[in-house]
Amino acid sequence: MPATLLASEVEIGSALPELAIEVTPTFVVSTAIATRDFQDVHHDRDSAVAGGSKDIFLNILTTTGLVQRFVTAWAGPDALVRGVAIRLGVPCHAYDTLTFTGRVSERITEGGEDRFVVEVVGACGAGEHVTGTVRIALPGKLPGEVAP
Amino acid sequence: MSDPITETARRIAAAGESVRTPARDPVNRPMINNWVEAMGDANPVYTDPDRAARSVHNGLVAPPAMAQVWTMRGLHGQRAADDPLGVMTKVLEDAGFTSVVATNCEQTYHRYLLHGEQVTVSARLENVVGPKNTALGEGYFVTTSNTWYVGDEPVAEMLFRVLKFRPSRRPEEPASPTTAESGTSSEPVIRPVIGKDTAYFWEGTSIGELRIQRCGGCGLMRHPPGPMCPECGATNPKFLVSHGLGEVYSYVVHHHPPMPGKALPYVVALVELDEGPRMLGELTGIAPEEVHIGLPVEVAFVRVDDELTMPTWRPRTEGSGR
Amino acid sequence: MTGSLSGAAAIAGIGATEFSKDSGRSELQLAAESVRAALADAGLDPSDVDGMVTFTMDANSEIAVARELGVPALSFFSRINFGGGAACATVQQAAMAIATGMAEVVVCYRAFNERSGQRFGRVQTAAARQPTSTGLDNGWHYPMGLATPAATVAMFARRYMHEYGATTEDFGRVAVTMRRHAASNPNAWFYQRPITLEEHQASRWIAEPLHLLDCCQESDGGVAIVVTSAERARDLPHPPAVIAAAAQGSGPDQFVMNSYYRDDLTGLPEMGVVARQLWRQAGVGPQDVRLGILYDHFTPFVLVQLEELGFCERGQAREFVADGTIGLDGRLPLNPHGGQLGEAYIHGMNGIAEAVRQIRGSAVNQLEDTEHVVVTAGTGVPTSGLVLARS
Repeated sequence: MPATLLASEVEIGSALPELAIEVTPTFVVSTAIATRDFQDVHHDRDSAVAGGSKDIFLNILTTTGLVQRFVTAWAGPDALVRGVAIRLGVPCHAYDTLTFTGRVSERITEGGEDRFVVEVVGACGAGEHVTGTVRIALPGKLPGEVAP
Repeated sequence: MSDPITETARRIAAAGESVRTPARDPVNRPMINNWVEAMGDANPVYTDPDRAARSVHNGLVAPPAMAQVWTMRGLHGQRAADDPLGVMTKVLEDAGFTSVVATNCEQTYHRYLLHGEQVTVSARLENVVGPKNTALGEGYFVTTSNTWYVGDEPVAEMLFRVLKFRPSRRPEEPASPTTAESGTSSEPVIRPVIGKDTAYFWEGTSIGELRIQRCGGCGLMRHPPGPMCPECGATNPKFLVSHGLGEVYSYVVHHHPPMPGKALPYVVALVELDEGPRMLGELTGIAPEEVHIGLPVEVAFVRVDDELTMPTWRPRTEGSGR
Repeated sequence: MTGSLSGAAAIAGIGATEFSKDSGRSELQLAAESVRAALADAGLDPSDVDGMVTFTMDANSEIAVARELGVPALSFFSRINFGGGAACATVQQAAMAIATGMAEVVVCYRAFNERSGQRFGRVQTAAARQPTSTGLDNGWHYPMGLATPAATVAMFARRYMHEYGATTEDFGRVAVTMRRHAASNPNAWFYQRPITLEEHQASRWIAEPLHLLDCCQESDGGVAIVVTSAERARDLPHPPAVIAAAAQGSGPDQFVMNSYYRDDLTGLPEMGVVARQLWRQAGVGPQDVRLGILYDHFTPFVLVQLEELGFCERGQAREFVADGTIGLDGRLPLNPHGGQLGEAYIHGMNGIAEAVRQIRGSAVNQLEDTEHVVVTAGTGVPTSGLVLARS
């Protein structure tokens, strides 16, 4: 994992490195169980198909977790995630590829803290699975560094 | 006049916050390990004690997006009797709105959770909006909120919205219920088309902000907005939040024909904002014959539904300012 | 100077259906009937036609009209946007096609069941839903309750009154004059039905400060205009109405009916753009013109057009119209047919036909000095204009 970005290094409008995730059945099932979501549509293909879906699909807690992962993988370990707001689109089924793209949209002051808003889109074969924003705070200097 | 669904929603919403339900386990390393392993999240502040100790956290922390995981009911869990989403779901299913799709999830994290902390969660019903004709079928948007606590300290919050609907299409058809909704014909009000260049404005009204586009290049303020600054050519529009004060520049008293969602006659004012640009909106709180050019006004926000909040104007009161 | 349009083309034929509130037939039939009538007037056959122009808003495609007429081939077809602002521009397009050799005989048409079918005066909810830049523009006005043409003009009129001291009686004088002209025009809907200023003032509010009688009527009908080269027109049955000037115009920060964000809300700068071109192309000025066909869907904009065209100073139009100047006996008669307030609302095309009749000398309220006639199209929108001449 790269070092944490400093607030001064971030440019509004800059793009995040793309992240593509192969959504295997194992991925759908393991993330559903790791988020303690035992609804059958996330692990039982027969049930999912009987309910009208073409396969098992990702649960919302995983989508939220992946959005967070996508942003912190770029921002670094010292970035503080303050919020994840998502709007859900088409379901992301097993055997699909979920590709995240994002850009820094603005810099705001919120709760007395300097924060960046990152816009995120997660697209799969049928269209946008998730769109949303992540609010993060970045350090002005790295921990342990002495201010100049 | 009120239907049983609206009536139930009002009753549940009025009941406020539910009793807090505790998480099964305290925040713990094994569940975090399972989570990061499944997600593929390599952030060392969750799993690497040495790196975490040198981080802003000074030690291991839980992933913020796990907030809800701690309080999931699990394989054999039951909803609490007063869980508002459970009660509302039952009422809607009884009325034939049997299908569900989640549309929005907004989580706010006040701080990172530490190993060993015991989390509880409460829920409340924010609102139920409908019936709406969506691409998926007729349905109601149900919005709930959750707050997670450690002791009495709120540590995270979530706004969660689902559409409970009566299916009118094959569930497999990819249709986003919230976007399709604005294109229905049976709506009582005229809704604006919202696009990439104008979304910021409507996002602002929904949280009580009157936003004016301001060029990120030269600072030109502009309304209505557009993607490219006519002054400097920059395609970097920003916005500022207006103080919401202005004067009537011109106005119309609309008498005829009838207008969806409005009682006749009504006043529409073209307001010159203190910041400079002009903006149009309904002017309320004053008799039409008392309106005049130059009348000081202030913005007010009228929430139409979950998706739309309209900016309107009213005569300025003493000492108003935002 | 290369490519001058002035004098290259002329209007050789005009045709129309009756003007009614319920035509009882399809819009395509109205279009076909008016085109056939215009061709007959020009002494031409459908097989002579090789170009067609209409409004973007028109529901009848060029090929549908061509099929009904049996027009075998079209080498030019075009449409003009922005509602009634298209009227004179259809003739401009035709003239440009002819001047550049793209076509020899071009028919301009507009036909609709605007009263019995989709009425423009109603709230157009669909207009606010288009997924286009226009739909987004409408999103700043329609949902706020400003959703009819009358209301959009009323917003402008209120400011104009404030700036220049105009009153609703000043607007009323325009309406009274148009209805007086229509009263002696048998083709007008309001034939033999003049109004008084008192009746205007007593008519109900539509969108204050506009009364009912400040608003044009809603009509069913069709009008067609045949344009060909001035040279060819001279061999056809009627004296040609030579196109001495033709222009389009759009102004700064232009919107459709809602240009409320300009520095100044008392002018129609898009009409100023048209006016400057017209006078330059035609080689005449407002002082040389004794007849105007000005677009009159709402009375306040007739006053503003007088100012933009240079017939009077800014803010002075109310004095200009106060003493009968725009009546049949005045210095600058306007709309002898009764305009859209009195004759019919055919999106400005019936005004072009009236200008042609005045030049031919065949109008019911015929005037004497019609060497040059200025014609304008829809106001509040990107617009157009013509100067037609006897020679």
